[in-house]
Amino acid sequence: MKIRLILFFYFFLSQTLVFAQTIVSGTVLDEKSKPLPGVNIFIKGSFDGASSDAEGEFTFETGESGEQILVCTMMGFESQEISVQLSGAQLRLQSLILREEFNELNAVTISAGAMEASDEKKSVILRPLDIVTTPSANGDIIGAFQTLPGTSTVGNDGRLFVRGGDASEVGIYIDGLKVANSYGTTAANVPTRNRFNPNLFKGTFFSTGGYSAEYGQALSSALAMNTKDVAARSQGDLSVLSVGAGYSHTLANDKQSISLSGNILDLTPYQALVKQNFEWERAPHGWDLELAAQSKLSKGGMLKVLARTEAGGMEVWQALPGIDGKGVLVNLKNRYSYAQTNWRKAYDKGWTLFAGASFSHNKDQIRYDSAEIDRSNDLSHLKLTAVKDFSGRVSAKNGAELFVHSYAENLVRSQLSRSFEDQETYLFTEWDWYLSRKFVLRGGLRTGYSSLAEKGWLDPRASLAYQVSENGTLSLAAGRFHQLPVDNFRVLNPNLQNSQAKHLILNYLLQKDGLTFRAETFYKSYDKLVVFQGNPQSPSLLQNGGEGYAQGFDVFFRDRKSLKNTDYWITYSFVDSKRSYNQYQAQVRPDFAPKHNFSVVVKHFVSSLKSQIGASFSFNDGYAYTNPNLPGEMNSKTDAYQNLSLSWSYLPKPNLIVHAAVTNVMGADNIFGYTYTARPDETGQYGSLPIEQSAPRFIVVGVFLTLSKDKNANMLNNL
Amino acid sequence: MKKLSTTLALAITFVFSAFCVDPAYENAMKKQVAAMKTIRTLEECQAVTNAFLRIAEAKPEEWLPLYYAAYLQTTAVFRFDVNKDQYLDQAMELVEKAEKVAVDNSEVTAMKGYVLMGKISIDPASRGQSLSPQVMQLYGKAINLDRENPRALMLMAQMEQGMAQFFGQGPEKACGLARNALDLYAKEEAKVSGDYILPTWGKGQAEQVADACK
Repeated sequence: MKIRLILFFYFFLSQTLVFAQTIVSGTVLDEKSKPLPGVNIFIKGSFDGASSDAEGEFTFETGESGEQILVCTMMGFESQEISVQLSGAQLRLQSLILREEFNELNAVTISAGAMEASDEKKSVILRPLDIVTTPSANGDIIGAFQTLPGTSTVGNDGRLFVRGGDASEVGIYIDGLKVANSYGTTAANVPTRNRFNPNLFKGTFFSTGGYSAEYGQALSSALAMNTKDVAARSQGDLSVLSVGAGYSHTLANDKQSISLSGNILDLTPYQALVKQNFEWERAPHGWDLELAAQSKLSKGGMLKVLARTEAGGMEVWQALPGIDGKGVLVNLKNRYSYAQTNWRKAYDKGWTLFAGASFSHNKDQIRYDSAEIDRSNDLSHLKLTAVKDFSGRVSAKNGAELFVHSYAENLVRSQLSRSFEDQETYLFTEWDWYLSRKFVLRGGLRTGYSSLAEKGWLDPRASLAYQVSENGTLSLAAGRFHQLPVDNFRVLNPNLQNSQAKHLILNYLLQKDGLTFRAETFYKSYDKLVVFQGNPQSPSLLQNGGEGYAQGFDVFFRDRKSLKNTDYWITYSFVDSKRSYNQYQAQVRPDFAPKHNFSVVVKHFVSSLKSQIGASFSFNDGYAYTNPNLPGEMNSKTDAYQNLSLSWSYLPKPNLIVHAAVTNVMGADNIFGYTYTARPDETGQYGSLPIEQSAPRFIVVGVFLTLSKDKNANMLNNL
Repeated sequence: MKKLSTTLALAITFVFSAFCVDPAYENAMKKQVAAMKTIRTLEECQAVTNAFLRIAEAKPEEWLPLYYAAYLQTTAVFRFDVNKDQYLDQAMELVEKAEKVAVDNSEVTAMKGYVLMGKISIDPASRGQSLSPQVMQLYGKAINLDRENPRALMLMAQMEQGMAQFFGQGPEKACGLARNALDLYAKEEAKVSGDYILPTWGKGQAEQVADACK
């Protein structure tokens, strides 16, 4: 009996469920009351639902009854849940309104000052692969960025110079953590390279001004590089070059990967074959070891470790004007170590947390003629950030940073030494506010305090972007930037305060599949630059007394579409800059800020040859220098600089690359300035020597072989 | 005695609902799998995708509706004029959800590779280098997880074909894989009946790769 009853109720109830149908209908609109087609509308927990049609209308039957939750979802819109009462045969809902969700993919991004290199994001100017394949760069990240707008090539230095600023004004970061001494130590007029291998990074963000409150201690520019995530497979990479060799081994599984690599570099055999302008006692040489590890943590966290240690050196004669013979012998030894770890995790409700710590140690031993100087520099950086996304339209990034920085100089023979230690703390906050998909505002504040300078400061930053056409964006950025003077000045006068810059930038960016056009104009003022008496070798009476400005515009055009298998970009930058700085009492054009800068990079893939052929050409109208035979400072300019570089990459197999590159193919006799005798000769003239290239050309040939022990790959070979 | 039979009956009902697939789910899936084959426009595609998403929402323990929604999002990129990156990102989200429901599932693993292959196709010159190894690894894993899965082999064949073209090599490897995939498709067809809701797509694509070898 009982069982019958149960079965009876069971079937009876299920029958009622089937028959008590309610027809639900309604309209879905967007915020502008336009109909939204394709919205998924359904009763939560059931299969009952429908999609809205072209008029935003939907109708469906449901067997559910009573109080239920109706869900509306659509890609790119915020989901909505409303409670409905299903009782009658019909339920007509008043127009439902869905709010658009804004994210990087569909909303405008601020492009003033910013240039990204990434595979993923949309406002990219350069892709990671481009860095390796730019002929004039020779595999150096910085070399590739020197073909971008706002930069100047200073051929005898090699570092990055941005918009009339000197190289120290560019802050370099890896995964948000500052990298001190990121360039290799080098002798005067021997161009340096960045220490870090471009293959470590999945993307870079390069700003030529007006950048985020996240970055400080950089007057001109921020270059932020982001390391790769977990590697896809285990493999070995062998490289043999005309100047050295290296091997890198990667072990990977789904969750984590670790790479260990070692390189040796020695230009001795190369210099024996190719004639050099400089007289070398010992060609540049060095070794490095690097470890990179990545681990995906449970619940979506990511932990990364990067460590590097290296040693190197060189010994070269530097010719002096008015003196016969080889000149002065400069011997240089460098030891560098860098380690960092960082952790990032995204949480529910729009929170993302980041924590990172880095440490670097640099030691230079310099012998200049009979003088011997040791310099050591340590930097620790701790950083915490928390990002909170409110409703997808407002987001905030807050952070705290601590830098512990020490520097020491030691004159070995006279046993004189001097040093300083500084602790800097920073807090920053930055808010993004999307007023619509086409209009975004960003405001930020950064405060800092230095224990050595005994002073705090505040930097406001603001920017906005407005989408003016389907593919065009106009952005504006402004901000104040502070930076403490370079170590070798601070050690002489620990009371030196921040130098200061203010930026104003207007940018137009047009991006259409395969085409990029970018134009930017800027004004930058400098204040409290360091000036001193005497010459840069022995400065005295250092103080924050200099000031100046830089203004100009730059244009960039890239086309990856019009010509088959061809990708090219053209850059022109105009910089008008003057400043009183170092020994210059009047405002002069600095030697690192040529007025007209032009570059073209062309890459063409030839399928029949399995080869990529590349060419790059850079030009500027010459460097300012002071000729003591004429009145005034910075009163002369060198001849124009030019460099045509060619490269050829041959891929006979997917795992083998043969690469050859020649810089300055035409052998242009570039002069970067002149050095003069300290005193005039008997005719009253100062004798001079040109500062020339270390060699007319640089040729590199390399073979890169990837050995994959991937079991799947092997398995497939047997199929 | 009566008590015992009641308990038994209840127990049977329980066992029934726990071990046999929910017929409402089966029916809903069957209907959409059939509808999927007649899609001609983006609107139809969206409607079927939405229906799979509704099923996924109601049956969070099932991977198949998520899988089909991801499949439709991915194929929409190749068939219709849509925001490709947005569609593929959403497809990836769905695959990742499916992965959590069905750990080490060959079909889901192959689908993940397929979505990434779509990402590469948008900008092969710059994305290929970083994503190709991941795609190859996923297809390799999918093949290992189920040696009878023709889609894993077919997708691997497509990838090999693309790589061979890029590097100017012969199509032999791709052809071999495509032929093996076609054998598996034939085996799969023998299993398929009217009620079959598991994936069966991809034979045409395998034929295309195999055709290139003639």
